[in-house]
Amino acid sequence: MNISLSNVAWLEPVVNVAKGKNVGTNLQIIFKSLGIPLVGILVFLVLWSIAADRIDTSLGKFPGPGEVATQAKGLIKEHNAERIKAVAFYERQEIRNAERSAADPTYEATIRPYTGKPTYIDQIFTSLITVMSGFILASIIAIPLGIVIGLSENLYSAFNPIIQVFKPVSPLAWLPIVTMVVSAVYVSDDPMFPKSFITSMITVMLCCLWPTVINTAVGVASISRDLINVSDVLRLSYFTHIRKIVIPASIPMVFTGLRLSLSIAWMVLIAAEMLAQNPGLGKFVWDEFQNGSSDSMGRIMVAIVTIGLIGFALDRLMLMLQRYVSWDKSSATR
Amino acid sequence: MRQVITNRRSAFKCACIRSVLVLATGFAAMSSSLASAVEYAEKEELKFGFIKLTDMAPLAIAYEKGYFEDEGLYVTLEAQANWKVLLDRTIDGQLDGAHMLAGQPLGATIGFGTQAHIITAFSMDLNGNGITVSNDIWEQMKPHIPKQADGKPVHPIKADALKPVVDKLKAEGKPFKMGMVFPVSTHNYELRYWLAAGGIHPGYYAPHKGDTSGNINADALLSVTPPPQMPATMEAGTIHGYCVGEPWNQQAVFKGIGVPVITDYEIWKNNPEKVFGVSKEWADKYPITHKKVVKALIRAAYWLDANDNGNRPEAVKILSKPNYVGADYDVIANSMTGTFEYEKGDKRAVPDFNVFFRYNATYPYYSDAIWYLTQMRRWGQISEPKSDEWFMETAKKVYRPDIYASAAKELIKEGKLSAKDFPDFATETGFKPPQTEFIDEITYDGTQPNAYLKKFSIGLKSDEKI
Amino acid sequence: MNPLLELSDVGIDFPTPNGPFCALQGVNLKIAKGEFISLIGHSGCGKSTVLNIVAGLYKATNGGVVLAGKEVNEPGPERAVVFQNHSLLPWLTAYQNVELAVQKVFKGKKSKAEMKAWIEHNLNLVHMGHAMHKRPDEISGGMKQRVGIARALSMEPSVLLLDEPFGALDALTRAHLQDSLMEIQKDLDSTVIMITHDVDEAVLLSDRIVMMTNGPSATVGEILHVELERPRNRIQLADDPTYNKYRQQVLSFLYEKQRKVETA
Repeated sequence: MNISLSNVAWLEPVVNVAKGKNVGTNLQIIFKSLGIPLVGILVFLVLWSIAADRIDTSLGKFPGPGEVATQAKGLIKEHNAERIKAVAFYERQEIRNAERSAADPTYEATIRPYTGKPTYIDQIFTSLITVMSGFILASIIAIPLGIVIGLSENLYSAFNPIIQVFKPVSPLAWLPIVTMVVSAVYVSDDPMFPKSFITSMITVMLCCLWPTVINTAVGVASISRDLINVSDVLRLSYFTHIRKIVIPASIPMVFTGLRLSLSIAWMVLIAAEMLAQNPGLGKFVWDEFQNGSSDSMGRIMVAIVTIGLIGFALDRLMLMLQRYVSWDKSSATR
Repeated sequence: MRQVITNRRSAFKCACIRSVLVLATGFAAMSSSLASAVEYAEKEELKFGFIKLTDMAPLAIAYEKGYFEDEGLYVTLEAQANWKVLLDRTIDGQLDGAHMLAGQPLGATIGFGTQAHIITAFSMDLNGNGITVSNDIWEQMKPHIPKQADGKPVHPIKADALKPVVDKLKAEGKPFKMGMVFPVSTHNYELRYWLAAGGIHPGYYAPHKGDTSGNINADALLSVTPPPQMPATMEAGTIHGYCVGEPWNQQAVFKGIGVPVITDYEIWKNNPEKVFGVSKEWADKYPITHKKVVKALIRAAYWLDANDNGNRPEAVKILSKPNYVGADYDVIANSMTGTFEYEKGDKRAVPDFNVFFRYNATYPYYSDAIWYLTQMRRWGQISEPKSDEWFMETAKKVYRPDIYASAAKELIKEGKLSAKDFPDFATETGFKPPQTEFIDEITYDGTQPNAYLKKFSIGLKSDEKI
Repeated sequence: MNPLLELSDVGIDFPTPNGPFCALQGVNLKIAKGEFISLIGHSGCGKSTVLNIVAGLYKATNGGVVLAGKEVNEPGPERAVVFQNHSLLPWLTAYQNVELAVQKVFKGKKSKAEMKAWIEHNLNLVHMGHAMHKRPDEISGGMKQRVGIARALSMEPSVLLLDEPFGALDALTRAHLQDSLMEIQKDLDSTVIMITHDVDEAVLLSDRIVMMTNGPSATVGEILHVELERPRNRIQLADDPTYNKYRQQVLSFLYEKQRKVETA
């Protein structure tokens, strides 16, 4: 699989230089694919620290790269400290359970999960789980819907205005509605998922549905007439037609949609979490904003960098998946 | 999941059977061995919400000092985005309980805003708020404020000094605007009380006509702004001042954008501030759990005031963690440790700025509830005239000193606190004696709400309607 | 002669906003088993429309098509089509492209091993045995068209329909494929309808050349019987007077009788 290799364009030249092969040219390639972006990042960091020094806020100076790095380390330290506290929590709980079992032999001890605060690392995972759930749910709805719409010109005309109207709606507009509906519909004494998770997930889903629907529909509608004729001549059944012709033919467009959807999902999630109080990165940013301590801005900047890096990584992941799944390698670029 | 549920159910059943057995074997067994009488909470995993303000301290302390765990409760504390979110999540069961504005359980129960029956058995603190005005307003107020011998202004500063400023703005056709945190917040009523005492009309509400902005006939336009945004909103010139809890008054001083003019302690000495609210439904379903929560909170409040505020520095350290209040240690410490900085450099001692346990701060007095109800009536949030009996009934529906008393008695029995720390439950009526220490020197008697309302020159009287 | 395929009075109208457009009118044609027919005419004369009607992809407005005693009204593998631009599924290899057709046509009739042998046989027939596991984007245009032919042949069609199969190929490749096609047709005795606008191709390959008039309302103009000995050899035929006579007849139909007026 040379998929991963093509993603890291500088790897091969590095290997070549190591082997002493074509050193000059390879060094040039390395500089282009690795050096120039590094220079870009360095220039950005310098400009950032200069600008940061000049912005005064009520919470002190705007955090520069150094301050942000310190805060990132602090967050990891907090995470580790919290883990130690969790261990102590479970130990205390065991003792308490044992005491109670001794006093009451019929008592069936249960271990309750740690009640401490979610750390930054926990919050990253909560965000990832929420965004992936919403995205997968959206895909499960959007791809079949897009296929059905794309197959029929009439359905396409019927749905298109609806899609175009819902597509630009901000998550902040959906959220109150979703919250009310979830509160009314999702009633349980011991819910499997917290409501805040359901609310955030559904909001993410509603916002990231549309690019996949549209792109899938367009992809299906624009399948070459020739391929459809082949299917007709072979008298393929409706579902074989979809399985053998429609899905493979529209895969590149479906993935274009999925990548757009995932990036929207990730952006929407942060806003949704802020309002729905789902304990992910969005809530982290909101809480730090509320804290208004001298560390808050630095910690929010850590979150911003994290959000950006994860968003970037998610997109690369989708690209790799697309390269792996799709027959049309040329469509899987950037 | 299912396994856990059945376990909990059987645990609950066991607890019931055991308590019956205990009764059958008589009280002798109970007193001889406390362990055998131990009750277990019906619901052990709980999630409580709070807003990032220093007066959430009892919750943080009960968690950090292990008081919740001592009661067999596994509590998660979660900061909420704003008061509305916090209330809604308590109502729909996402939160088992929350740090609430005293007006919230009352407002919700009588249906001003979101309608839901919320009760409280624990009052979280006294005082803790302040009113801040922008530098510009302060400069205009200053000539109207009497000076002490050392040149500093005489405190408390009354709104009388603000009145000419507001009149001047009005003559120029400019509105005078102030921020508060929630329509049923203590801050709203305190700010209104202070303004009205100085002859500035803060405006009426008329919910029956769909007017919930509270600006009818107003000289000062009040609007809702979330606490952390207060300083920035004032700096931007959107509001001329605000009433908020700490650390947002001190923040204005540090930033040099405004001057706190008065604390709520000076508006109404030892006024009740936040409460711990739960839904009625929840309390009925989990009575033992509720009692245990109150026990843990009483111990936390006791700890906060113990040793003459000696534990406060440690408390401030806990509160400054990002998952609680999260503001800098110094900012929180400024008010929590008994001083308050007014105009820059004018630092004065206010030892009772934050009271958590002294003066029976944790006891849910009916008279406190009725005071909030009178203010709701005074400003039209309650649009219809109400009888004294109605005030009494509503207070009893929401404030539950009975639950508080059962929790306190258990603590006394367990030897964790002593009877002298509490009111005498045998004689306590739930009404404080008539209070006189208001800025306008009007006496408040909780048993006479309608008569009390008649004493105000600004505000709706018993039979008035907008 | 008992015709295998009969077109009687076939006509077609396409709806347009300005009323129906009559593309074809009164097309009559009888084709015997094993016959190789070319349809020739200027572009836009409706030859592709005729082929699509036979394939069942279009429905005739008037008249109809009967194949082996049964009326044609939908597409089917017994009328396999080789499309102009190969129409291979780009995500499948040559082998898989043929397999898709074979599985559909011989499901339940051939065992797995038999199918495999049959697929390979057809690919070998078009000289694609060496590249059967390559995907369309890895092989040349001529090779793609060979796979397209193999796919069509693998369905064992009663009639093989070729829609300008070599139009997009360079001259050398085209000649190769024409020779292959002649060979295969001889071996299998297939019935073929081919659309072309290449006069040499038509004369070289066909038993009969059906010349179409210009549209609208295009129809069969003349039919030319090409009575040249088979197997035909393009090099020998180049000097053959009969061959040139046929060639000249087609050219005169196209460029004198049915001169195409180019409208901008």
